[in-house]
Amino acid sequence: MSETGRPKIEVRGLGKSFRFGGSTIDAVDDVSFSIRRGEFVALLGPSGSGKSTVLNMIATLLEPSRGEMFIDGNRVIPHRATPDVGYVFQRDTLFPWRTVAENIGYGLELAGVPKAEREARVAECVAQAGLKGFETAYPSSLSGGMRQRAALMRAIVVRPQVLLMDEPFGALDTHTKIDMHDVLLKIWDREQQTVLFVTHDLGEALTLADRIILFSARPGRIKESFEVDLPRPRDAVKLPETPRYAELFSRIWHSLGEEFVKGRAA
Amino acid sequence: MKGHALGWQMLICVVLLVVWQWGYDLHEMAPDFVPDLLDPYFVSRPSDIMKQFLILSCLKSKMGLWNGWFDGQFGACMTKYENNLWMAMWVTLKTTFFGFLAGVSSGFVLGLALGRSAKLSAVFQPFITAVNSIPRIALAPLIVLAFGIGETSKIVTSWIVVVFLVFFNTFEGARSVDEGFINTARLLGASEWKITRTVIIPSTMTWLFASLTPAISFALIGVIVGEFIGAERGIGRLIIESEARGEAAGMMVAVIVLMIVGVVLSALIWRLQAYLLRWQAHYQRN
Repeated sequence: MSETGRPKIEVRGLGKSFRFGGSTIDAVDDVSFSIRRGEFVALLGPSGSGKSTVLNMIATLLEPSRGEMFIDGNRVIPHRATPDVGYVFQRDTLFPWRTVAENIGYGLELAGVPKAEREARVAECVAQAGLKGFETAYPSSLSGGMRQRAALMRAIVVRPQVLLMDEPFGALDTHTKIDMHDVLLKIWDREQQTVLFVTHDLGEALTLADRIILFSARPGRIKESFEVDLPRPRDAVKLPETPRYAELFSRIWHSLGEEFVKGRAA
Repeated sequence: MKGHALGWQMLICVVLLVVWQWGYDLHEMAPDFVPDLLDPYFVSRPSDIMKQFLILSCLKSKMGLWNGWFDGQFGACMTKYENNLWMAMWVTLKTTFFGFLAGVSSGFVLGLALGRSAKLSAVFQPFITAVNSIPRIALAPLIVLAFGIGETSKIVTSWIVVVFLVFFNTFEGARSVDEGFINTARLLGASEWKITRTVIIPSTMTWLFASLTPAISFALIGVIVGEFIGAERGIGRLIIESEARGEAAGMMVAVIVLMIVGVVLSALIWRLQAYLLRWQAHYQRN
């Protein structure tokens, strides 16, 4: 990956506290990291470790209590969408009143892309996601996997440089999930977006990421960072059979396991 | 199965009509055994209603002769009786339509504005609750006084009963728009106006439509009550005229016409709804 000085995403001393009745709970505390252009980074941790909170602050959906965030050196301002940043939700959030093609083309419509170009780009994405023949279907008639693929394409079609993903495949069954990993890996191999991917699934993080940032149980802090030196392009089905995968898995699993135990005790 | 139900429905209709038509005769033949519930003076009977229908619609003269189309008798009858059934129906339908349209559009806009603005809703909430507590029909005489016995007063009465119904539904709908949809749109760069147009309005549509079927009935009720109080024409006026003459048949004609009008209007709304909400799973079963 090319190192062009400035990091694509930089987070410094980020913290978030929520008030519950009289007491204040620190969900995230003193989180700092930086991500290179084109890097695929997974934020891994047990539930309640604040990884989604960090992502949502970077996405401008949540206001941080402390700290700063920068994308391309520009400060991230809460509640104001940052250009060239795409976001994929845990739920698919497809608009039920729009067809698959209309959902995917939504961002292009907002950007004022002419109809002909819009249709061409949507068609390309539909093909990529294996949704051919379902362009005019409404989300209510699609399976969970198809819906999430359409949601992914709605974020991809506008060609964002940064992709923020909040456990996007968390609700899918194992096979559908592996299918989605392949779709995502192919897109990333070609477009090389900078990706920040939140997950609690170590296997998923290993399959997709260049680097795994491990979060500790509440309050969410960065515990450790692991380079994932598995060769690219990767095959989501075959990768878990390789010895290097197994080696990394057991190493990170041990560290993650400590956090699970701590989280349970808390 | 569907044919089966239809058979039963037909049978029920026939039985009801037969009882209605000859039930009172049976009472007269055997007063000790059959109660006098169906006195034609009060409820008329199907044959009399049919007769009255033909007279009120200028198809037959009061003598029971057919009014010819070509000899101009039909036209003469239509001009002579200003509030003939056709004219009454036209006036009532027209005012219902405008009352409905005014009520739905203003209720929708108001509901959307207050539903999406915490400030506006905090300010206006008590006023709306207060006005909503008035039984709207109680305002009808006041409205007729203010707007006269013409069509305007009927439209206003109809509007005032429809607007709150639509308002409350839209208000709830606008407040319960999925935050995930709004965030998705915002993160894709949508402006507030675009979010309103492409997310909030479509997702409030379901709630709006839930109020349209009752709204059309309410619009009709508003118009009829307005016509009771003071009108030159309309179905409500026809009922009052028949009542003054003690003609149950005439009132029954009006009531049956209103029933048919109500069913047709509801069916039209259902069709519109099925088209506009075609993305909902239960409209996709053909």
